[in-house]
Amino acid sequence: MDIHPSADPQKTHRWTPLILRSLVVLFCGLAGAFLLNLWGRTAPLKLIPLVDRSFLDTATVRRSYADLVAAKDDLSDFDCYACHERKKPPVLRYDANHKLIVPQEHSDIVMGHGEQGRNNNCFNCHDETNLEQLLARDGRVVKFQDSPQLCGSCHGPTFEDWEAGAHGRISGYWDRKLGAFKRQACVNCHNPHSPKFPSRKPAPGPHLLRPPIAVPTETADAN
Amino acid sequence: MSLPEAPLNRDPSAPGADMSRRSFLRTSAVLASGLAALAASLSPLRDLDDYTSLDRFMQKYYKELTPQEMDRVLKRIANDVEREYGVRPHVRDLKPMDGVEFVYALNLTRCIGCRKCVHACVQENNQSRTPEIQYIRVLRMPHGSLDIEKAEHNYAPESVPEKGYFYMPVQCQQCKNPPCVKVCPVHATWQETDGITVVDYDWCIGCRYCEAACPYWARRFNFTKPSIPKERLNPDMAYLGNRPRRQGVMEKCHFCIQRTRVGRYPACLEVCPAGARKFGNILDPNSEVSYILRTKRVFIQLKEELGTSPRFFYYFDV
Repeated sequence: MDIHPSADPQKTHRWTPLILRSLVVLFCGLAGAFLLNLWGRTAPLKLIPLVDRSFLDTATVRRSYADLVAAKDDLSDFDCYACHERKKPPVLRYDANHKLIVPQEHSDIVMGHGEQGRNNNCFNCHDETNLEQLLARDGRVVKFQDSPQLCGSCHGPTFEDWEAGAHGRISGYWDRKLGAFKRQACVNCHNPHSPKFPSRKPAPGPHLLRPPIAVPTETADAN
Repeated sequence: MSLPEAPLNRDPSAPGADMSRRSFLRTSAVLASGLAALAASLSPLRDLDDYTSLDRFMQKYYKELTPQEMDRVLKRIANDVEREYGVRPHVRDLKPMDGVEFVYALNLTRCIGCRKCVHACVQENNQSRTPEIQYIRVLRMPHGSLDIEKAEHNYAPESVPEKGYFYMPVQCQQCKNPPCVKVCPVHATWQETDGITVVDYDWCIGCRYCEAACPYWARRFNFTKPSIPKERLNPDMAYLGNRPRRQGVMEKCHFCIQRTRVGRYPACLEVCPAGARKFGNILDPNSEVSYILRTKRVFIQLKEELGTSPRFFYYFDV
């Protein structure tokens, strides 16, 4: 029964055990290597630190008078006549450059409203005859709770945007039928005495798998 | 294991009769070692800790599920989450609302690049923390151009905004003509009537075609089992939204389906300290987004030349 007449049966017989033995050794070696993880499994990923909870906070930058009232918080800052005298308007003093000299009692106030700080008269907004309320340029008396009305008397377009919900922060329900929404007041984000939105520390950026490719830094024109 | 037993003293002329004791042992040694090697080479499967349950395996396509079947699925998901995280979640299947089409508008004048939206989104939507999966990428670009080639997303200054730069957060644009949906071979992702393109994580096969098709790099793939610390799990979940994902499935921004389909604002909007993010129903003429698209300098849909027609608009004040 010679199927392969050309092959020498003696020769095949001589090589077979060697090949089989080496196969057994190879397979056993591989099995051992796999089981012992000689190559190692995928190394566990280095844990990325969790982001600080302060970055998840939805609180506003500042708290408005209305917020303080709602939270029944300390309102002593708004108790003007604890120090001032009624029926005696405070006198404003200016330095040689027409910059308002902020009295020591109000040293927490940084005057920076308007370009070049041109809005430098307290009584552009505060009512000098009654410091516990505000007075718009058109003569309207505005309570501290309603301060956006005062802001709107100068910043008309922005006020319009704010009323329509296009400017400022909003939270709650977009569907007014399903729930309440809250529109934040101007002073929740802007300090009325220096309204530029404050800068802040950014949250950590993406953790890249590879180091970022160095991009030639574009010199952005200083605006 | 019952193999047919061969009689010991067989007819020498029968086939296989030339097998000697020696060759039998030799062959079985090779066979056994081969099998051992095969089993050992499959040993990395021991690391797979995210087995598919039979229920999930047998689950029908999302659009074919009856309400009763959906209830069973939701219960199964709740049980799975409770077993894994020790928190009983509130999982729902929220359907699109009638007469609602969502649109997002982002004010580039206001964005300060603080990345709070990125992390609020991760927290709200139960994304993996290691490895990191984030739906929003904030790009920093120099003033005077809108060249995404010049954008940098890895900026880390002491404080933002930086002089001479503006910031542009990019996330899923919820296209009206979404390329990602077209390429999905199993219909695991589709566009709903309120404009949200959703992913069924139980139907996704993880081929990542959609990731390749998306021109906004909005889709993310779970290369490993997502890791979410128990104390940071958001138990308010939706089936097509923020329920925990498995290894090997795609995910992306879904406009916070679990919030927006019950009438709430998305998480990224509520956390934005500058109020740069606006969201609403474009079919309602009194909504914020309708007002913005009507009156503001809405300059782009990102890469609008591609014809994807995003529902995400970028605009400027002034």
